[in-house]
Amino acid sequence: MKKFKIIVLMIMALSLFVVGCSSSDEGSSEDGKVELVAWAWNVNVGALEDAMTMYQEENPNISIKVEDIGRSDVYDKLSTGLAAGGVGLPDIVLVEDDRIQSYLEAFPKGFANLSELGFDQHKQNFPNFKNELASLNDSYYAMPFDAGPGGMFYRRSIFNEAGVDVDSIETWDDFFEAGKEIKEKTGVYAMSLDKFKDDPTFRMMLNQLGIFYFDEAGNIDLTHPKAVQAMEMIKKFGEADLIKDVDGWNGTVSATVDGSTAAIPFGAWYYGTIIDQAKDTAGDWGVFLLPAFEEGGNRASNLGGSSFMVLEASKKKQAAYEFMEFFTTESDVQIMAMKDYGLFPSLSSAYEADIFTEEIEFFGNQPIWKLFADEMADVETPYFTKDFSIGLDEAIKAQASVFNGEDPATALQESANRLADRTERELNQY
Amino acid sequence: MKKRNVKVRKFGLYFLLLVGALISLFPFYWSAIGATNESGSMFTKPPTLIPGNQLLENMSNLNEQIGIGRVMFNSLFISITYTIIALFVCSMASYAFAKFKFKGRDIIFTIFLLSMMVPYHATIIPLFKMMASWGWLNQYQAVILPNIAYPFAIFLMRQNMLAFPTALIEASRIDGASEWKIFYKVVLPSMKPALAATAIFLFMYQWNSFLWPLIALSSTDMYTFPVALSSLFGLSRIDYGQVMTGVTLATVPIIIFFLSLQRYFISGMLGSALKE
Amino acid sequence: MKNKAYVPYFFIAPAVILFSVFMLYPILYSFVMSFQTSVGGIMEFNGIENYKRLFSDEIFLKALKNTFILLIIQVPIMIFLALVLANLLNSSILKFKGLFRVTFFLPAVTSLVAYSIIFSIMLMNDGVINQVLMSLGFGAIPWLSDPFWAKASLVLAITWRWCGYNMIIFLAALQNIPDQLYEAADIDGASRFRQFFSITIPQLKPVILFSAVLSTIGTLQLFDEPYTLTEGGPSDETLTIGMYLYQTGFRYFDFGYASTIAYVIVILVAIMTYFQFKIAGDSE
Repeated sequence: MKKFKIIVLMIMALSLFVVGCSSSDEGSSEDGKVELVAWAWNVNVGALEDAMTMYQEENPNISIKVEDIGRSDVYDKLSTGLAAGGVGLPDIVLVEDDRIQSYLEAFPKGFANLSELGFDQHKQNFPNFKNELASLNDSYYAMPFDAGPGGMFYRRSIFNEAGVDVDSIETWDDFFEAGKEIKEKTGVYAMSLDKFKDDPTFRMMLNQLGIFYFDEAGNIDLTHPKAVQAMEMIKKFGEADLIKDVDGWNGTVSATVDGSTAAIPFGAWYYGTIIDQAKDTAGDWGVFLLPAFEEGGNRASNLGGSSFMVLEASKKKQAAYEFMEFFTTESDVQIMAMKDYGLFPSLSSAYEADIFTEEIEFFGNQPIWKLFADEMADVETPYFTKDFSIGLDEAIKAQASVFNGEDPATALQESANRLADRTERELNQY
Repeated sequence: MKKRNVKVRKFGLYFLLLVGALISLFPFYWSAIGATNESGSMFTKPPTLIPGNQLLENMSNLNEQIGIGRVMFNSLFISITYTIIALFVCSMASYAFAKFKFKGRDIIFTIFLLSMMVPYHATIIPLFKMMASWGWLNQYQAVILPNIAYPFAIFLMRQNMLAFPTALIEASRIDGASEWKIFYKVVLPSMKPALAATAIFLFMYQWNSFLWPLIALSSTDMYTFPVALSSLFGLSRIDYGQVMTGVTLATVPIIIFFLSLQRYFISGMLGSALKE
Repeated sequence: MKNKAYVPYFFIAPAVILFSVFMLYPILYSFVMSFQTSVGGIMEFNGIENYKRLFSDEIFLKALKNTFILLIIQVPIMIFLALVLANLLNSSILKFKGLFRVTFFLPAVTSLVAYSIIFSIMLMNDGVINQVLMSLGFGAIPWLSDPFWAKASLVLAITWRWCGYNMIIFLAALQNIPDQLYEAADIDGASRFRQFFSITIPQLKPVILFSAVLSTIGTLQLFDEPYTLTEGGPSDETLTIGMYLYQTGFRYFDFGYASTIAYVIVILVAIMTYFQFKIAGDSE
């Protein structure tokens, strides 16, 4: 019996030790110091921490603890905490723009109304689409942060070898011809796409054309003639064997490193991946805007980007808001995030910084940030709605069917029908 | 004739096993190679299959990102504490299930087994709510306690306990030993192989556990290995060299743990109880 | 006999208490949730609506179909392979048994995060595996993007991970088959092949059943592989019930319906287990 008692005592001691170790998560302590907690992923963590250092010059009593959490892990944790009734959550959370509306609709009481805290005064500093994505019923629930203006990241050497002049590419048809030329002369694919599991190119095209899975009223818009046009274009590239089929993110990185694709259509943030992974190809890269669907048509698009939300359950809402307001609306902070972490700002006053005219050596001395910054004002709003995840799921299925030989209009119609079933939304008829 | 036959058989045997071993081990080898090379080298054509010289660089990058020491401590602390407590609790229960007749025994045992059928995703919200209301979130016990009564471990131990001669227990009772002493001094010592096998399963389960620790632990300094590794996956900037280093490091302790107990493993797996 | 009645209860008490608090309660709670739906973030009862919805939910039905296809193909392949391996490792002429044993068991100890990243890179269109295939003169295989091959990839990955685990179980059980049985068969001139099917397999029946039940539970709850390797694609071809459950809860925020799906899995596992016992003719 003695040993058993010892073991029981040990276990008790251990749990006491463990309980003792745990930190209390009370609001502000007596001495007026406030520690904010934020959830973010990857480079955003460093940007937040550095911004706090800047903020502390004026507000020495505030500090921040940023938990570095994998991107999709943030959503698992956030969903769990909100579904459990708003417990175990941080003060501030980074959310991608395409998910903001989902969270707002599913958990209407989960997030702080930032208009009530005074964010409306910053409206004119952000492009329209960012504002729309960050608000619901004319109230801000998120503070716009980075954006992903779209572009074609291309390999200069491959284009040169095929004798294709980038400046001559204005429309998707031009790019199609150029792609054929490239494939013929160099054997390299025109662009890369995860044909069966992701649809970034389709989404950017929809964005260019001013439509999305859903329209402003929340109706399903996948059967819009312009959506069919976009899908037909993708099919055309596929049938001419100009698309390098890549598997997921790893596959895209792989194609970037090994030069098996001449161009990669993505958001500005892809810059970071290229310079990290393809170090040997410095100087060989360039960017041009996505081609238009007709001459003189819109070439501006956006893919990705994220914003900061403040949790309603936070006991330090005001302090959290004030710091995040500083973070998102102060040019210096945004310029720091851009320079040190490659996070492309959506705050328009930030574009006046030098870096937006600088020539980037890795990109053959092209001032790529200027190109992206100029693009921002023309980006249309994609209406993600609460059901973006399901819409994405169905759009990917439509794309997969198209690559398996189905007609684009039919594939989109089928997806739209299923989407209507799953979300109980109206389906626009054309 | 017979001798040649044996030679052919031997050759075939080794050939098959070596191919199998190659398939089993290649992914481990490959991630170890990734750990010694630059991020982009995972994607070169032809594949990079020889060690590079980036290991130290990757290690220090990884350390900066996740704090290897801290993560290793958390993972070891949680897994070892869990394994010890669970081993104790489960063998006590399995002893009762195997060697006593009591009211409700079969029903309780069946409920234990049936619970294995419930997908764990479904229980996360209620578990999380409970932990939050007790203020246990982001604390070790939130990860250690929930699966202490691990049904599979109870099952495995019970199978082994069944084989223990009841006469020996009776004899000790007649000698006047207390019930606890019988369990602790007579039965348990003969269960070493079974305990070792069960320990492997328990340790393996906790070491690799991902979703619950992710949900229950929220500060970086509490992270276990799988959660910390997953935090390396941001949107676009993944350093594969770092990831592979982390993957390899996370695998080493569990391999050591397995190797140190594996000589008991076979005999402890099922005892002779499943033999009818 | 002074067998005090409270003794067994003393021994099971810690396990029962911990189990009730941390497993039984959440399980019952989620059972209640399976009759609820979220209205503006608050859970409200909606009767058996969730259960009715299952029958008209095409994606759920597809996931159900996929799961069963995987179950029917993967479990027998893996168990057979594990049996063969166990038998080879049990051979009297083999040296380095311990080494091989460890080697084959190792895949089971890897964590989901580690294993998923390694396999998804290896299985890419121009990943290591296809490069090896091509250098051997085969064509590249669209492992993750073709409906058929995506399923095959899952089967391969799961088999890689769990085959050695089952092999160990069988190996343990093989120690208990009396040598005389094989010696007698040798004298009768039965081939090794013959012995495998007429001695080994029948002798191992209870253990095979045990493995099959465990693997069935694992496959019906299958989540890790489709989540990390194929994301359920292409076109839901590798979506499993376990993954649909996760998506419904954590991605579409419908935790009520997700619980409903969980209970469908429970019912299926119970039925399958029942039949497996029936087929095996085990009365226990």
